[in-house]
Amino acid sequence: MRLLSLLAICLLFTSCTKPEPIHNTQSYVFGTLVDITIYGEPEAEAQELAAEIIRDFQELHNRLHAWRASEIKSLNYAFKRGNLPVTIEPDVAAMISDATALSIQSKGAFNPAIGQLIHYWGFQNDEFKPIKIDDLSIKKLLSNNPQMVDIVIQNGKASSRNRHVQLDLGGYAKGYALDNALQTLRKHGVRNALINIGGNIIALGKHGENPWRVGIQHPRKPSAIATIELDSGWAIGTSGDYQRYFMLKGKRYCHIINPATGYPTSGIQAVTVLIPPQTNAGTLSDVASKPIFIAKPNQRAKVAQEMGVENFIVIEADDKIFISAEMTKRIKWTDGATAKYVTQIQP
Amino acid sequence: MAPLQSMLRKFSLNLKKSLFNQHPKPLMGDWLIILIGAISVFVMFQQFWVTAPATKFKIRQGNQIIGIFDLNQTRELHIKGAVGESTISIQNGQVRFKQSPCSNQYCVHQGWLTRAGQVAICLPNQISLQLMGAKSAYDSLNY
Repeated sequence: MRLLSLLAICLLFTSCTKPEPIHNTQSYVFGTLVDITIYGEPEAEAQELAAEIIRDFQELHNRLHAWRASEIKSLNYAFKRGNLPVTIEPDVAAMISDATALSIQSKGAFNPAIGQLIHYWGFQNDEFKPIKIDDLSIKKLLSNNPQMVDIVIQNGKASSRNRHVQLDLGGYAKGYALDNALQTLRKHGVRNALINIGGNIIALGKHGENPWRVGIQHPRKPSAIATIELDSGWAIGTSGDYQRYFMLKGKRYCHIINPATGYPTSGIQAVTVLIPPQTNAGTLSDVASKPIFIAKPNQRAKVAQEMGVENFIVIEADDKIFISAEMTKRIKWTDGATAKYVTQIQP
Repeated sequence: MAPLQSMLRKFSLNLKKSLFNQHPKPLMGDWLIILIGAISVFVMFQQFWVTAPATKFKIRQGNQIIGIFDLNQTRELHIKGAVGESTISIQNGQVRFKQSPCSNQYCVHQGWLTRAGQVAICLPNQISLQLMGAKSAYDSLNY
């Protein structure tokens, strides 16, 4: 009996612990919220390091900005005028080459060369308002077929064989920034951290004894639909129709534009991908969800496979949830009732 | 601790009487089953009770923490942000963006937040609300 009461008392007090050595910094970069959590480092150092990472993000954002003066904006201007090759920074060259490879891998569903289309739809703006849809311009641009492979990089200079190529790295830069930040943290000997750029998250180490745990936002409610453990080096990203969109005549137009149709993707609410540790895990968490989001419903599993994604969740427009077999093992639905709507899909 | 201990003892004695009046002494196995039951209830509670009602929330503007506020009050807060003044309404354990100077009004459409870990963000005005509780289900939110 004594043992039992002792056990009960022990259990009652397991939740009381000392304050944690945890630092959190938030800022607004890339037109979104950046959240950096560092665990187990002295407060002053964590704070300084978080500030350095935010500064790096801001610099990258300024350099890659698609509609304000930036290296990319200058490059786009040169492409448009059909100018001679222009000198670009080595890291920008590497980004373009990498984005081109991913664009090929996705069979053009991920296409950062359609900046002009994104502009037509009003998403190259800090805020999104309903626009007057310019079908003629959209059709014309599609017929000019801007592709990443039109860009030629030689001896540190870039040119485009197609004057309609306009780079917009909006679907790439945040993921790339996550990979960079992880490197910075490791370089400084940080063992535990969680970085969130507008919902794209990468984990390093653990949150004390436990793995980092992230919530996956419900596309239509202000709460998490599920939670998942993010082990060290893993990254998670979601493409959704609820963060950047506008409503026009009762119809939702989201920022993920299908390069094949020139129109915003409809019929789907969200695609979440979970990427295992690799040098570009952050980048993949940003990029790989988009081709799945754009694909036809019966093609999603196949496209995920082509993008090398084993762990993913799809929430269709009718609230039906599809999940890959691998992801089933990791997910924890916050509401038991959700499980009713979940179907496992096979590639 | 003493009253709790005696309470537990009393409870278990009563339990013994009612459960085991067929046998004067409960067997080892009976205790084992009770113990396993108690442990599994505890474990399941920990496992499945993933979000708790929030008691407080944090307001941030840009990279500044404006403050941590109690949810159990009825109050309106006016916070100056990057593009204007946002109105935040607190009422009976819940909080929401009531008015915002942004054009999309996504933050207002988020509605009431009640559970620990829930977040509402106004990107244009750079204001975020984050609900805090004894136990948040997650460290960060993927959206």
